[in-house]
Parts: sequence; structure tokens; C-alpha cells
Amino acid sequence: MFVGKPLRRREDVKFVSGKGRFVDDLLPAQTAHVAFVRSPHAHARIGSIDVDQARHADGVLRVLTAADWEAAGNGKLVCVHPMPFSDGRPMNEVLRPAFAAGKVCHVGDIVAAVIAETKHAAVDAAELVEIDYEVLPANVETARALDADCPLVHEEFGVNLINEVVHGDREATDAAFAKAAHITELTLVSNRLAAMPLEPRAYLADHDVERDETTLWATAQMPHMLRQWICRYALHLPEHRLRVIAPDVGGGFGVKGNFTPEIPTIVWMARELGRPVKWTCTRAEALQSDSQGRDHVTHARMAFDEEGRILGLEVETLACLGAYLSNFAPSIPGNSYPQTLTGLYRTPAAYARVRGVYTNTVPIDAYRGSGRPEATLVNERLLESGAREMGIDVVEMRRRNLLSREDFPYKTPIGRTYDSGDPQAMLDKLLALADYEALRREQARRRADEGRLMGIGLAVFLDKSGTGPSKSLARKGGLHGGYETACVRVNSDGGVTLFMGTHSHGQGHDITYAAIAADQLGLDIDAIEVVEGDTGRIAHGNGTWGSRSVSVGGAALHRACGEVMAKAHRIAAHLLEVRMEEVRYEPPLFAVPGSNRSVSFAEVADVAYHGARLPADHSIEPGLESTVFHDPDDSNDPSAMHLAVVEVDARTGRVALERYLTVDDCGTVINPMIVEGQVHGGLAQGLGQALMENVVYDPASGQLLSGTFMDYAMPRASDMPPLAMDFHASPTPSNVLGAKGGSETGTIGPPAALTNAIVDALWHLGVRDLRMPLTPGRVWEAIAQAQSGRDS
Amino acid sequence: MHPFDHLAPETLDAAVEALAGDEDAQALAGGMSLVPVLRHRLAAPSALIDLSRIPGLSFVREEGDRVVIGAMTRHAVVAASPELGRRIPALARLAGDIGDPLVRNRGTIGGSLANNDPAACYPCALLGLGAVVRTNRREIAADDFILGTFETALEPGELIVAVTFPVPDLAVHLKEKNFASRFSVVGLFLSRRGGQVRIGITGAGPHAFRPTAFEEALTADFRPDALKGLAVPAEELNTDQHASAAYRSHLISVLAERAVERCLAGDGDARGDRA
Amino acid sequence: MTSAPTRTIRLKVNGHPVEETVECRMPLAELLRDRLRLTGTHVGCDTSQCGACTVHVDGVAVRSCTLFAVQADGAEVLTIEGVGEPGALHPLQAAFQEHHALQCGFCTPGMIMTALELLRREARPTPETVRRYLEGNICRCTGYYNIVKAILATAEAGTAEQKASEGGGHAPL
Repeated sequence: MFVGKPLRRREDVKFVSGKGRFVDDLLPAQTAHVAFVRSPHAHARIGSIDVDQARHADGVLRVLTAADWEAAGNGKLVCVHPMPFSDGRPMNEVLRPAFAAGKVCHVGDIVAAVIAETKHAAVDAAELVEIDYEVLPANVETARALDADCPLVHEEFGVNLINEVVHGDREATDAAFAKAAHITELTLVSNRLAAMPLEPRAYLADHDVERDETTLWATAQMPHMLRQWICRYALHLPEHRLRVIAPDVGGGFGVKGNFTPEIPTIVWMARELGRPVKWTCTRAEALQSDSQGRDHVTHARMAFDEEGRILGLEVETLACLGAYLSNFAPSIPGNSYPQTLTGLYRTPAAYARVRGVYTNTVPIDAYRGSGRPEATLVNERLLESGAREMGIDVVEMRRRNLLSREDFPYKTPIGRTYDSGDPQAMLDKLLALADYEALRREQARRRADEGRLMGIGLAVFLDKSGTGPSKSLARKGGLHGGYETACVRVNSDGGVTLFMGTHSHGQGHDITYAAIAADQLGLDIDAIEVVEGDTGRIAHGNGTWGSRSVSVGGAALHRACGEVMAKAHRIAAHLLEVRMEEVRYEPPLFAVPGSNRSVSFAEVADVAYHGARLPADHSIEPGLESTVFHDPDDSNDPSAMHLAVVEVDARTGRVALERYLTVDDCGTVINPMIVEGQVHGGLAQGLGQALMENVVYDPASGQLLSGTFMDYAMPRASDMPPLAMDFHASPTPSNVLGAKGGSETGTIGPPAALTNAIVDALWHLGVRDLRMPLTPGRVWEAIAQAQSGRDS
Repeated sequence: MHPFDHLAPETLDAAVEALAGDEDAQALAGGMSLVPVLRHRLAAPSALIDLSRIPGLSFVREEGDRVVIGAMTRHAVVAASPELGRRIPALARLAGDIGDPLVRNRGTIGGSLANNDPAACYPCALLGLGAVVRTNRREIAADDFILGTFETALEPGELIVAVTFPVPDLAVHLKEKNFASRFSVVGLFLSRRGGQVRIGITGAGPHAFRPTAFEEALTADFRPDALKGLAVPAEELNTDQHASAAYRSHLISVLAERAVERCLAGDGDARGDRA
Repeated sequence: MTSAPTRTIRLKVNGHPVEETVECRMPLAELLRDRLRLTGTHVGCDTSQCGACTVHVDGVAVRSCTLFAVQADGAEVLTIEGVGEPGALHPLQAAFQEHHALQCGFCTPGMIMTALELLRREARPTPETVRRYLEGNICRCTGYYNIVKAILATAEAGTAEQKASEGGGHAPL
């Protein structure tokens, strides 16, 4: 058995030797380079654009603007998951332009592109493009976006409102609040983040003029989808003319799953020039152009009975989507976010109104967690604050409200039915892991004896993964499917190649899929090769995002292996001249029990590909492979529980992370080493959001203040706390493996857990709430304000 | 980046001459500040005059009751110097906390001081110890060296050759970091020498400065309580996305108190060695 | 228009002599990646912070994006491609695989180069020392836990090796 074991990854050998092949590593002869001219203003009308000087500069091949894009008959960067108003009106949609026309709407908006013989020539010439801007008032604050006096990003709608999506039951929720013994109310902000995978986005397109075939090497999480978007929406090409290859990709977290404005220009120019065209994003550009994450402002209330049991949840959220709609963007606050708002609690009534808004900022789209960190922040801050306000221990509060195993499948008042889980058992594990009673004793001791401020905070939550049924996606407005593709191709020597429609950018798919297939086919891991990331070799898949690769890709693989085994079995029976029921597979041999007759898997493969020994009546065709397009019946619901232990230095506001504990339920674990690694990495990003990461725009000028890593902080090795982890598997019925996604929970818990922990440490000083990132300055200011409130 | 020429003179005189001969030429020390500036096209020097091949500029030497550090001495070397570790451990610790190990392998004290980033670490020690900057032309006292944001008393073509630090009785460096840049949100260097207290603050204002009211109070009475009621006014300090001026003002007071506490607690690292 | 000033430089890269004529503004990282096609050294930022470009120049770990190729004239440069032998990983590289200290692999060469220097300077670093030494190398995938584990494991194995050998050898690279 290979599944369940911490098998080491095979691709590591090349990476540790520096032999990875990332897009920027590619440099074919005659490569031309692109430099983009981006708006320095948050909002401005474009007067004239003078490209003359640039066009005549050394080494320049082309200078492009919106006019050239239009003249070429090119299309649009379509939003593939639109979300209308709940009342049926279509959303107020403005797509990301390949080139801004008329006006620019965020710092970094592309106005022109220079293609030149060298990178230096392109960058030098880009400075020669002269653009006349008439600066307009801008708004970069989400909370202000719907105010009457707020500047409009797109005048045509008369408002900055994109859509309004309502979930749940308003009347039932009002009734619940009317009879509440206690109501907790908070304003919560999920701060804007930049994913910042360490490999910047890079694209290299090459066009074979004679064959009229274009190849695009892309840092892409969904090669097939990218091909479809470019061909169908942007450049109006037949799909078979474009091949997209995603080689080694250095991290994605969602931003490399987006259809960004630079991409179609690169493909277009490669075709026009008949030579390779390449662009690698600089880090400063990445902060102005990669889609960003989160940015919600929420007013929410939770109603409790006298025992602290939740009666209802009411949520009002403004979700910023930036200046233009990026491809998945509306579905995150519109769908992913509300679906997990009630978390793991029995919630009789709930109502959520989510309004998407435009601001003059970089577009927002999926970023690891996508809506669940925002939802968990709301649910868990309300729950814990409610507990403190009512004088109930925060763990006891969970006990009273958590679903138990028997409650599943559980239909939430928001609409989603959760498929599987065992929250009470998970809580037991978490408390045991933490030795919760001892922590509380220590907290009391430190405060009494030493005046030190230790804090303990929890976050228990649901995740959403394994998207998902195509019909379900379509019902919610999606223009793309949710199935996944696996081809199991046995080679004539009995070795196997798997062609998978997902794409690993660090998640270790190779060993994961190989383990599943090895178990199913009864072969050794070494006999199995995994191929991902090439539309020329792999049938259409939907790629890797939303923790779906194992749930959906793995399920597709399982089925395809099953079909291969079924055929192998038939061939074996034919060769052994017995009925199918008389053959048993004892890897690697198909044997007739009670005799010494057998035939190996390799022999079966050889026969399949030779053909001559197959039945004369053609009842078994040559070949031994299967391609499965697996459309799942359901997505699935991993869950997790986090506990944070902190100590706050009240004088500096510095927060020391003493310990962090997690218990994860991701169902069946294929490779525990990889799943743990996913939690580790997610935690770094979750702690990042909680403590230091923040995309900052200046409200007065609209300028991006966090323009480089000098100002956008990310955790380093020394920032990570001592960690203890445990797992609890409640397999999901949504796929045959029983596996749920495991790679996003790390980002979901920390914002709530750390805010709760710091509030716990400071509650007795009068602090009730804090805004992320929980920098020392903010913590100190919260204490200072609470103290001055008390003194006055 | 814009194109430029690169010269690596092998004597100080040749370097000075190269700079004098081309007003757009710029001296290159460790490159930790200059190279990112060039990559972002924020400066366009015609030539870089690389100082790394000039012998005799990298050293840490004891000279009586002073420690002298050559301008091209890398932070990592300063941090690991046994002489400095013995005489002014707080300064060695400061150097060992600049940036990260890769920065410390290349960055130099001369380059850092000449650049005078308002959040760089060395300037607070320069002021906090009352150091003297030795250039190829003259000696400049710390108080006369720092003039403004990225502005020093160095004249065109003038190069730092060494920095002389008087050995104190006691010294402490405390730093609250900007999580992104690893520069100081507030960096404080306090020293006491024969009863005289000096404090250098970096990261908080337009450039490093001395809070003289704090110094006077502590010189008169070297206890944390002596600082009660004193504060650097927030109006004089920076507010940015990382910290408000009010917080910086508060932090200065807290760090000053803690520095004094460390000295009084007999913290071994706080002890200078004037012997 | 004047063309950019150039120099002809001679250096050693992974033990091999190299002679190239380069623009003075060419960063060492670009020489390695584009000219010598040693693409294991990666570029991840533009403010000299992420450490993905770390190499050794004359035995010292430096960011190759912040050094110009002309500054490496006459130097010996070691990149990730020069670590270990073909077909035989250096113990630290093997430890990275063993302990799942990489996910996407982009920061990995830089991490290894920095860690090699650490292990050369300190045979048995504490976990805290390791974490501090990695402050200049950003990883967005692993959360660093397994990277620290891999480095500590290598240190432990290295000193065990050292104790086992006669008269104490060198710490690995």
C-alpha cells in the first residue's frame, strides 16, 4: 500500500539541484521582450498617448495601445464566474482591459506595451512613451465605496456597486434576534493581501509560422482554461492553434489561475512577429498587477439564548473587487464566502447580504482560502466575543454550539449542506493537544504573579473544497466546468503514464497520484509516470485551485485505473482461457487460483499493444488505457480547529507567538507528509494576514504604498511559532477516495484565532476588538484607547 | 537599469580622483542600498566607483579607549569582531541585527553612514556613542555628520575612511523592527560614559537624532523614573503605514526606559570595557 | 546614442573558468542565468530581500541580484549547480528531500546556499540560530518548519560523521 504513507517526492531531486524548469528559465533564440507601461495614477482620464519616440528607439519592434488591440479585432478578458444580483439583474460588469482605453482605474493599469529585441531596450523605450493624464478623484477605501459623495470608478452605473447577493432568511433571522437573550455586534475587516508566490508570473509565447501553431509557456494553474480563455474570449483563435504548457511553477495560491491582461498581448505578439515573445513580471509590477485577495468590511451580529446557544447570524459585507472584475472574483464574496459563514455551529437562522464594490485598486480574485478566512473571521470573532460578554468560557461556548457527527449531512440556513465532519471529537483532540486546562492556569498565574499578558484564542471552522459539480457551478453563474480529467495509459512494457488535468505548483501531485495509481494497479511506484501541465498532451482539465486535485482529480484517476484494470482482467482471462471470475489479480500476476497458471501485468500490456493475440471476434480491442472526465456529485467540506497562545508586551504592543495548534479533518490522507506541509505553508500565510501582511493604498492620493517587499511584509523563518498538529479523518462521501482538500485551512484559522487570542490577553484592560494586521502599533493603540476610555 | 560604467580603483586617491572627475559618478560600497535604487531606475549615475579593491579600509582596531572601524568593514565582520565584542558589545550586537545574514555579508558601515537612511541602524549608534567620522579630508563629529533625510555633511568626492567609536562604560541597543524591510521602526542606542548619557534614535523621524531632554535627565539621574513625563513630541516624528508618530513617540520612551533598566541590571552585554 | 559600457571579465563558476564580455549594469544573476544558462539561481524580487538568488562568491553567501557581474571579476562563484556531485546529492540536498523542505522549489536553491554557509560557520546551530540565519530567504510555500528540520538534521549527521572520522575533518562544504 502506498496511499497513506509519507512517500518522498521524486521531483525534489531536480529542484534541490537547481534543475527545475521555470518559465523565466526559458530563453529560445530570437526572443523578443515586452515591457508594459502602467498608470502611475489611481484614476485618470487618458488624453493623448505619444508613442513616436518609443517606436523609434533602438531595438523596438512594436509599441501597442488600446487602439492597436481594437484594430486587431481582439476581444475581452471575460469574467468566467459572474454573479448577478439576487433579484436577477445582471451584475454591473467592467472587465479588466488588455489596455486601458479612455481612462485608467488603478495604479498599475496597463496603457501601453513595448516589444523590443532585448529586455533593456523594452524597458528603456517604455520610459519614452508619453501619456497625457488628467487626474481624477479616486477612492481606495472599501468602506466608503457606496457613500453618496464617493468618486465613481465607472460612471456608467451611477454607483460603485457591482452586485448584491443575499443568502438565508431575513424574516427568520429577524425573529431570532427579536427573542435573543444576548446579541453581539462587531465590525470586522479582512485586510487586503497580495499572494506573492516567490516565482513572479512569466509568459513565453512562440509561434511556428509554417504550422500556424502557437505555444505558450505560462506560470499557470489551469493550462486548459487559460487556453480556452485566450482563444475564445481574447484573441478569437481556434483552440487547437494554441498549446499551453505550464512547466515547473513556483507557487500559485490562486494568482496564477487568473486571466491577466498581459497574457493575451504576449500570445498576440508572438503570432504577429513569428518569433518568441517573453515577459517576466517584476516584483513591483506584481504588487500592481497580480490579483489580490480578501478586502472585506463587515458589520455582523450574532444572537444567543441564555445558555449561549446561537439563535441567528446576520451579516452585512462590503466586498471590494478592485477596479475591474477579474475572472473568478464575483464568486468569492458571492458564493464561497457565504457558504461557510455559519461554520461548524448549529445555526437555526442566518441572513447575509454581500455587496461587491469597485474601488480604484488592483482587481481582487481568488487567493488561498478565498472567502473562508473572511467568513471564519466573522463567525469566530462573534462567537468568542459573545462568550466573553456573557461570561461563558470560550471552549464551553463551542461545546454548546458545535455540530456533532450525527448532525451530518447538515443543511445550513445559508443553503449549503455540509457533507461530513466530527467537530466534537476534533475539539477533544485540540484541547488534549493543547492541554487547555493547564494553559488557562498558566495564564492566570502569569497575570497574578508577574503582570504578564498571556492570551488564548481559538478558531474552529469549515473549509470548502473539491469544486465541483459542473451543474452546480453553472447554477451559480460559472462559465466553466468543475469536472477533472485523468488518463491512465499503460505502455507496452507494462509501465504506466498518468496524464492529469490538474497542475502542481508545489503540492506534490506526482507522488500523490502515483501512489493512488500504484495501489489501484498493483504496481510499484517506479513504474508510474505522471504528466501534468500541457494542453498538447492532456485532455481538457480544469486545473488546480480550491483544493480540488485529490478530491476530483484523484477520483477521476481512481475510476480510470478501475477501467484499465477491468480491461486488463479481461485480457488476462482470455490469455488464460478461463472465465473472468476464475482469475484473481495478485499483483503483479493475474492467476488462476488452484493452478500454477498466471500471466503478468506486463505481459497483458504487451499483448494489448501487439494485438495479434486478442480475440478474433474483436471483443477486446488493442490498447490499454482509459480517459475519464469525472464530474463529481458534490464538493466537500474539510474542517479544522486552531488554537493560538500568545503573550502581549503591553508597553510595545509586540505579540509573541508562544504556540500554535491545529487539528485538521481532510478525510482520507493520501500522503501525510504532503498534507502537513500544506498546513505549514497555509499557516505562514494565515499568520501573515493576521500579523503583518497588508496591501496599503493612500486614501488621499490613491497611491499604492506597499509597492515592494520593503513595505509588504511576509513571515520569515523566525516569525513562525512552535507548532503542534493532529488529524482526524471523517471521510467524505463526495468521492471514492474519501479525501477532502487539505491545502487551505492554514490560511483560514489564524486571523480569527490570533485576534481572539490577543483580545483574550487584553480583555481585562478594556480591549474588545482589533483590526488586522495586528502589528505592535495597532495593539498598543488598542490598549491606549481602551485605557483612555476607562479613565475618562 | 540605466547603463553606467564600473571602475574599481586600487587606491583611495584614485577613487577620489575618479569621483572628482565625473560629477555623476557614485561611490559603491556594499551595494545594499545603492543597487536596489538603480534597479528601480531612481538614480542614473554615469559610473560606479567601486571601493572594494582599496586595501586598508576593512578593519576593527582598538586604539586606546576607542574602537576604530574601517569604512568598508562588512556588518558581519563587525558583528563577529572579538575586539568590538569585548569593548562595545552593544555595537557588535547592532551590526549583527542589521537586515539579514546576506545583507550583513555585503553591507558596510561606511556605505550605511554615507547613505544615511532615516531608518538605518548605524546612525543611532553614531549619535549614541558620539562617534567621529574620518574621511579622506577631515574628521566630522557625529552631531555634525547627520544633516537631513539621506543627507550628510559629506561633500562631493569626500569618502568615509573610518569611524571612531569611544568606548563607553555602558551601552545598550534596542530595535523594534519593520517586519517588511527589517529596518527600524524605532532603533535606540544609549551609552553612558563617566556619567554622561547619550542617546541616538533612528527610524522615528526624518533622520537619526538625539533626544537631548532624555539625555539631560538621565545624566542627572540615571534611573528609568528620571524619564517620567518626558516624550519626544509626535509632531516631530514619522507616521507611515507601519507605525504612527504617536506610537513611535511612545516606543522611544519605552525603549529608553528599558535601556536604562538593562544597564542597571548589570546585563553583561551592556557593559562597555574602558580598561 | 552611446552604447552601454562593457567589460570583459574572467571568473570561475563552479570550478570552471569563464570569460565573458558584459555590460557593467548586468547583475551577476543575469550573467549566471541568461549568459551561462545556469538557471538554478532564481530571481524573486527587486529589493534584494527574498534571497532566491543566493550564491557564494569567494566563499561568502551573497545575493547575486545585488552584485554586478563585473564585481565578480577574478572571483570564484559557487551556484546550486555546483553543489553535490552529478548523481550524488550533497547531504543537505538529500535532507531537503527527506524532510519535505520544499514544495514549489523556487526558493530552494537560495535556501540551500544560505544554509551551506550557516553549516560551515556553525557545526551544531540551535533551531533559533537556524531560523535567524534564514531571515534573508523568503519561502511562501513551506512555512519553514521542514526547512529548519532539514538543516538541523544535516548538522547532526555532519557532526556525527565528524566524530566518527579520525582527527576531525571539515564540516561538510
